[in-house]
Amino acid sequence: MKITLLLSLILLLSGCSDKLVRVMPYEKEHFADPKMSLSPLAERAEHEGHIFLIREASAGGDSAYQGGCGCR
Amino acid sequence: MKTLLLFLTLGLHLYAGISEGDKAPDFTLKTLEGTKTYTMQNFKGEVVLLNLWASWCKGCKKEMPEFFELQKSYKKSFKIVTVSVDDKASKSQKFLQSVEKKTGIKTPFISLHDSDKSVAKAYQAVAMPSSYLIDKKGIIRLIIVGSLNSEDIEQLKLEINKLK
Repeated sequence: MKITLLLSLILLLSGCSDKLVRVMPYEKEHFADPKMSLSPLAERAEHEGHIFLIREASAGGDSAYQGGCGCR
Repeated sequence: MKTLLLFLTLGLHLYAGISEGDKAPDFTLKTLEGTKTYTMQNFKGEVVLLNLWASWCKGCKKEMPEFFELQKSYKKSFKIVTVSVDDKASKSQKFLQSVEKKTGIKTPFISLHDSDKSVAKAYQAVAMPSSYLIDKKGIIRLIIVGSLNSEDIEQLKLEINKLK
């Protein structure tokens, strides 16, 4: 009984093995695709950030010299 | 008891990594063009730098021009063997062509394609890029994790010269 329990435990733990669960570095081709980035286009991300902050009207725009009104 | 030992061995095997001093695992891979097949036996009696790379890996792309220069500085007894883990060989070829244009050197080393990642698995690569310096007897002498800059290449040359 004890051996069966121990074997089951080993099998269960081997399922958590790093190499079985983790995406290995050489398997990250699709993760490395620019499409997978949260902001694939840097210019667009900057613009979106600017608009977001204006609408929020709380942080004063994206840089120090903007007032949050959307104008310069 | 025997069964228990067998399971323990199997379990531990999952955690066992490749290390310096181990025999370099053998492989059979085709070139990026798919015209020629290479195995480790082809490099017997030569010092080999086996480099695992991909065209989507920034560090790999950064160090590639250094390998062009490195191979150019060794004409005999040392070979760089690059193994691309790209899904499509054409992506690797395109990148190598861009380096050829940039450096003005035709790819001076053997470029193999490992689409099913068998070599990366066999060498248990923990990062991209990974390089393995293998001596004339087929023993791994140095494992390099990450990309190499020109200073690292100078250090690597000392290691290569020791093994030559």
